[in-house]
Amino acid sequence: MQFAPFVVQAFQVGTVVIFAPGVSGFIAKVEARLQGRRGPRVLQPYYDLAKLFGKESLAPHGASAGFLIAPIVAFACYLTVPLLIPVLTTYGLPLGTMGDILGGSLILALAAFAVAVAAADTGAPYTQMGSSRTTTFSALTEPVMLFVIFTVGFLTGTDLPYKMASTVTSSASQVLRPAHLLATAALFMVILVETSRIPVEGHSSTNEFGMIEHARTLEHSGPYAALLAWGSAMKQMILYILLINLFVAPWGLATSGRPLPILIAVVTLVLKCCAVGCLVTVIDNSFSKLRLFKITEFVAAAFLVSVLAVLTIYLGGG
Amino acid sequence: MQVVAPSAVNAVASTIAILVLLVEFGMLRAGLLRSQVRLYAVQSLIASLLAAFLGVVHQEFELFILAGLSIALKTVVVPLVVLRLVRQSGTAVTVSGSLKPAGAALIALCVAAFSFFAVGRSGLKVDGLSPTVLGSAVAIIAVAFVLMVVRSDVVSQAVGFFSLENGVSVASLVVAAGMPLILEVAFLFDLLVAVVVFGVLMRVHHDQHDTLSTARLTDLRG
Amino acid sequence: MRLLLLVTIGGLVGLACLVVPPRAARVITVGAGLASLGLSVALIPGAVGQPLRLGFLRADALSVVFVLAAGFVYACAAVYATGYISTSAPAGYQRRFLFGLNIFGWALICAPLVDGLALLWVAIEVTTVVSALMVAVDRTKPAAEAAWKYLLIASAGLGIGLFATIIIYHAGTSVYGLSYDLTLSQMITAGPPLDPHATRLAFVLAVLGYGTKVGLAPVHTWLPDAHTEAPTPISAMLSGALLAVSFYAVLRYVQITQPSVGGTFVHIILIIFGLLSLLIAAFSLITQQDLKRLLAYSSIEHMGILCLGVGFGAPVAVAGVLLHVLVHAAAKGNAFFCAGIVMHKYGSKDIATIRGGLDKLPWTAPLLVVSMLALCAFPPFGMFRSEFMIVAGGLSRGPVPVVIVTVVLITIAFVGLIRVATTTMFVPARPGTPAAALDRAEPSRSMIIPILAGTAVLIVLGLHPPALLMNLLTQAVHEFAGGVG
Repeated sequence: MQFAPFVVQAFQVGTVVIFAPGVSGFIAKVEARLQGRRGPRVLQPYYDLAKLFGKESLAPHGASAGFLIAPIVAFACYLTVPLLIPVLTTYGLPLGTMGDILGGSLILALAAFAVAVAAADTGAPYTQMGSSRTTTFSALTEPVMLFVIFTVGFLTGTDLPYKMASTVTSSASQVLRPAHLLATAALFMVILVETSRIPVEGHSSTNEFGMIEHARTLEHSGPYAALLAWGSAMKQMILYILLINLFVAPWGLATSGRPLPILIAVVTLVLKCCAVGCLVTVIDNSFSKLRLFKITEFVAAAFLVSVLAVLTIYLGGG
Repeated sequence: MQVVAPSAVNAVASTIAILVLLVEFGMLRAGLLRSQVRLYAVQSLIASLLAAFLGVVHQEFELFILAGLSIALKTVVVPLVVLRLVRQSGTAVTVSGSLKPAGAALIALCVAAFSFFAVGRSGLKVDGLSPTVLGSAVAIIAVAFVLMVVRSDVVSQAVGFFSLENGVSVASLVVAAGMPLILEVAFLFDLLVAVVVFGVLMRVHHDQHDTLSTARLTDLRG
Repeated sequence: MRLLLLVTIGGLVGLACLVVPPRAARVITVGAGLASLGLSVALIPGAVGQPLRLGFLRADALSVVFVLAAGFVYACAAVYATGYISTSAPAGYQRRFLFGLNIFGWALICAPLVDGLALLWVAIEVTTVVSALMVAVDRTKPAAEAAWKYLLIASAGLGIGLFATIIIYHAGTSVYGLSYDLTLSQMITAGPPLDPHATRLAFVLAVLGYGTKVGLAPVHTWLPDAHTEAPTPISAMLSGALLAVSFYAVLRYVQITQPSVGGTFVHIILIIFGLLSLLIAAFSLITQQDLKRLLAYSSIEHMGILCLGVGFGAPVAVAGVLLHVLVHAAAKGNAFFCAGIVMHKYGSKDIATIRGGLDKLPWTAPLLVVSMLALCAFPPFGMFRSEFMIVAGGLSRGPVPVVIVTVVLITIAFVGLIRVATTTMFVPARPGTPAAALDRAEPSRSMIIPILAGTAVLIVLGLHPPALLMNLLTQAVHEFAGGVG
C-alpha cells in the first residue's frame, strides 16, 4: 500500500506540528541534565500548550487587530514551510515546487515580521525593545542566509530544495567540499541566532534586558501565546530540518510512499533533530552569552564564513 | 560553478587550507596578544597537518619529516619565544590597532576575495589540487599583510609576519610539492633565525620605548 | 679552492671575534676584509671563461662583479671600523660590533656565490637579519625604531621573494619534472620552455620582494631610517653592498625569466620601478636636513638608475649597470665614511649645524667634496663613465622620453647633493656657533685610509679601467643576454 503524494505531504506538515514541542522538551531535558538537574519531563511543552489553550486571552489597550492576527499568521507560515523543504522524502511532492528555497526563507521572514509588528503594536517597553532588537539582528543575519543559499545553489546548480538534497547526498566528496562545510558552519551560526540560543540569548532566562526574541511574545496570552510558543518550536524544528536534510545528514529519507519507509523517515528525522538539539545544548552550556554589541561580531563571523564559502566555490572551484 | 565535486582528496586539502585562512581571520579579530600567538600556533599545526595529509596521499615520506619539523619549530618553539617576551614585558596584554576588528575583517575579506580572483585569473595550472588551495594560500599572505598594516604593536606585527610565512609554506605545498627536502628545511631554519632576531629586536624596542606599541614610532620622518 | 676560502673566511673570523680580546679582534677583522677583497680579485681571471663550480657554489662573471663590490666595501668598512669604534667602549659592545660586521660581510660575499635560487633567498635573508641586528647595535631610541621598521618591511618583502621562488620552481617543473634542485645553471639554461604565466608572476613578485631590499620605491620606506641610524661602517656596507647584492637577485630573475616572458614585459616593469625610485629620491634629496639621510636617498636614486639601466636593455647599458655597481660601492662607501668622520667631529648629523668643513678637517673635507662629486657622476670619476654608458644605451635602444626624464632627475639629485656639500664644507662657520670652536684636526688616521683607497679606485675606474675588469664586464653582459655562460 502506498500513500498518495499529497497524503505524504500532509504527513510532513503533521510531523513538524506534532513533534516540534517534543523536540523542545527533549532539548530542555538534556540541558538540565548537563547542568546536573533533573529537569522537566520531555512532554512538558505539550502540557504547557494544553494549559495555555484553556486560559483567557487579554490584549493591551490600543492594540489593533494585528496584535491578535499575528500569531495566526505566524503559525500559518510555519505550517507552509514544511511543504517546500524535504522533510520526509527524497522525491518531490506536489506543492513542493510552490516555492524555492528563497521563497521558503521569505515565508519564514514573513512570520517573524508579523510577530515583530504585533510586538511593536502593544506599546509596552519590553516587547518593543525585543521587536527592534530582533529586527536588527535579523537584518544582519539575512545576508548570511542569502550567501548560504547562494553557496548551496552554486554547489547543486539549482534552487529547489529537493533537488539540492539529492545532489548533496550523491557522493562523499560533495559533503567534504570546503564550500559545503563552510556553508554548514555559517548556517549553524545563523540557527543559533534565529532560535535564540547561547551565545546570542539565554534561552531560559527571565531577565527582560537580555531578551531578544522572547521579549516579543511577552504581551500575548492564552491561545495566542500557545500559538506563538508552538510556532517558535516549529521554527526551530524547521531550521534543524533544513540543516540536516540539506547539509549535514540527509540519509534515512523515504524513497517511496509506503508506510514503513515513511515511518522510518519520521523516526530518524525526530532523532536527528534531537541530535542537533544536543549539540546546541552542549554549546549552550560551554559558552557564555555575548554582550549585545558583540552579537554583531558573532554575526560578522558567520558572514565571513559564508562569504568564504561563496568565494571558494565561485572563484576557487572547490 | 561546479556541480561536479572535486575528488575527496582535493576536498579535504581545500578544507584544511580554508581552515588555515579562517585562523588567519581569527588572528585579525583577536583582542589579546596571547590569544594571537596561540592562534598562530594553531595555524602552524593545521598547515603541518596539510603537509602530512599530502604526504599520505602522495606516499612521500619527506613531507612527513617536513610536517614534523614544522610542528616542532612553528607550533612549539616560536610561540614559546614570543610568549616569553610578552610575559616579560609586563603590562602589555591587548593588541593595539588603528581599525576596529570589524572594519579590519571587512577589509581583509575584500582582500581575500581579490586574492581568489587573482589566482583564478593568473592562469597558473595546478595539477592535482583544486585552485582553492592556492587561492587560500595567496589570501593568507594578503590577510597577513593587512594584519601587519592594521596593527600597531610589535608582537602583532611579528605574528603577522610569521603567519605570512605560513601562507607561503601552504602555497609551496600546492605549487612546489616536489621541492627537495633540504631546501624546505633550509627555509624552516631560516625562519627560526628570523624569529630569534625578531625576538631580540622586540626586546630592544621594549627596552628603549618602554612599551610594545609602535604607534609612537614617528621620530624618523622625511 | 679559492671559492671555498672566500666563503668561509668572513664567518670564521666573525665567530672568532666573539672570543678574542677586542684589539686582536680588530686586527683579524681587517685581515678578513683584505683577504676577502684579495680573493675576490683573484677570482676574476677564472670567471672570464666558464663559471667556476664547487659543490653548491657557483661563480660566473656576473657573480664575481657583485662579489668584488661586496668584498671592497667589506675591506674598507673593516679598516674604517678600527678607527670608528672607540677603544674605550665596553668590550662586549666591541665584540658584538665586530662579530656583526664580519658575519654581515661574510653573508654579503656568500650571496652572489651560491648556486640556487632557494639558497640565494636564504643568503639574503641572513643578510637581512644580521644587518637588522647591527642597525640596532647602538641601542638608542631612533636606532631601535629604524631597526624594527627595517626588519619588518624587509622580511615582509623577502616573504614575497620566497613566494616568487616557489612560483619559479613551479615554472621549472614543466621543464625539469616535479622534483629538482633549483640551481642557477638549470634555471638559466631552461629558457623559453618555462611556463610563461608562472614565470611572469614570479618575475613581478621577485621585483617587488627583492626590490624591497634593493630600496626601490614604493617599498623603500625602511631605507632612509635604517641607513641613517646604523653605525657608519654598517651604513656603508648597507648602501654600498647590500643593496647591490639584493639587486643581484633581481638580475638573476631577469636573466631566468627574460627568455620565456619576453624582453618588453621585463623592461617595462623595471623602468616603472626605476623611474619611480629616481623620482622620489631626487625630490627628497633637495629638502634633506640630515647628512646620512641625504646619502641614503642618494642610494635609492642610484638603485633606480640601476633598474633603469637594465630596463633599457641595450648591452652597453647593462655593462654600465655592472660598472655602476662597482663604482657606487666605492663612492657611497667613501661618502658614508666621510660623513661619519664629519659627524664624529661636529657631534651631530644636522646639516644646519655643520659649517666650515674645509677649515676643520684638512683631509676629510676635500675627500667629502670629492665623493659627493663622484656620486653626482662628475668626470673623471667612475660614475661618469657608468652613467654615460647607461644613458647611451637608453638612447640607442630604449624609450627616449624615459632617458630624458632620467637625466633631468639625476640633475635634480645633483643639485641636492652639491648644495649640501658646498654649504657644509665651503661656507665658513659663523663665529659663536659650536662649529667655530672646533679645532683643526682629524679624529683618526685609520678612518681616512679607506676613503683614499676608494677615491683611487674611482679615479682608476673612471679614467682607464683595467682590461681584465672590462673583460669581466663584457663576459657578464654576454652571459646576461643569454649566451652560454
